[in-house]
Amino acid sequence: MFELLPPLNDKNLPWLDVIHPIVVHFVIAMALISVVFDMIGVLTGKKNLFEVSFWNLIVATVAIFIAIIFGQIEAGLANPYGASRDILNIHSTIGWSLAGVLALLTSWRYVARQKNPTALPRPFLALDVALAALVVVQVYLGDKLVWVYGLHTVPVVKVIRDGVLS
Amino acid sequence: MTAIATIASPINDIADSLGANDLPYAIPVHPNLVHLTIGLFAIGIAFDFAGAFYPLEKRLFRFLALPVTRSGFHDVGWYNLLACSGISFFTVAAGFYEMLLAVPLPGVRSVLGQTAIDTMLWHAIGGVAILLVIVAMTIWRGYQRFVWRKDLGRQVTWLYLLSGAVMLLLMGLHGSLGAWLASDFGVHITADQLLAAGADLNEVLP
Repeated sequence: MFELLPPLNDKNLPWLDVIHPIVVHFVIAMALISVVFDMIGVLTGKKNLFEVSFWNLIVATVAIFIAIIFGQIEAGLANPYGASRDILNIHSTIGWSLAGVLALLTSWRYVARQKNPTALPRPFLALDVALAALVVVQVYLGDKLVWVYGLHTVPVVKVIRDGVLS
Repeated sequence: MTAIATIASPINDIADSLGANDLPYAIPVHPNLVHLTIGLFAIGIAFDFAGAFYPLEKRLFRFLALPVTRSGFHDVGWYNLLACSGISFFTVAAGFYEMLLAVPLPGVRSVLGQTAIDTMLWHAIGGVAILLVIVAMTIWRGYQRFVWRKDLGRQVTWLYLLSGAVMLLLMGLHGSLGAWLASDFGVHITADQLLAAGADLNEVLP
């Protein structure tokens, strides 16, 4: 049955490069800029910035589910070793949680916008701060998997295949 | 050629203050700022497309009971691009700092057949060129929004949208060069650099 699966390259991937880090552009950038535009909107009273942050939040929420799909596939092929196993577990847990958090935030935001698109409920700002913090922590953990442990990089995949590293 | 080979890299002068990843800190900054540059540019252009094709989408949004305004879409196009412009100066600056400290693995070629230094040079020049285009497009976008197309429903020209789409393709290629600097050439990746130094990751990266 395994011969039906596409062959894996020297980064242990069925495709050229990792896709998850590309999809997360749209979660990280849109979630963080949504928070920034909410803040600026409240500080300056520019009401149309709330519309900008609303749409960015929608994009972040859609993108995180795509990010999770590719994240799960590539995590399954990552062969984590040492402490990177724990980091990958926490990264996965926060990733799924973040999908829930983003979906809840977006639905609340949708209801608030239906009532009055030119006002932002103040408690939303507190959740914005929490969202930004959660995203930053998640990015840091993902960064460690790539930049410290080198998962899916050619040299690390090679030593794992040679059985030198486990 | 031999002259270059006999002069040791100036990075050696500060080797004591750098980690195994050839940086004074564990996580490179440039790849993180890149998330913002690419995300903001892509979604900014996407929402200007949404604003341009608004007459076609109108009925769908009414069907979904989602109140939508055309100017709202173009607001996203404008503010995201504006933010992209501001942040991308830091993206390029961090990229140059980290490229100056880059020690790519020797003897490796990318899928395009390029050497590490070729990939680095193209990524460097390409990065500056893309920054210039982003800033130029922001100015262009601003003139369309506030002057030339102030009274029009569709805030951007088709040429602007085409330019955005072409830039996204170029940024995809440019980003791939950057990705290979990490995944193939091992630049600033602790594990790859330690392996190149002959270390056993089971011991040094437990």
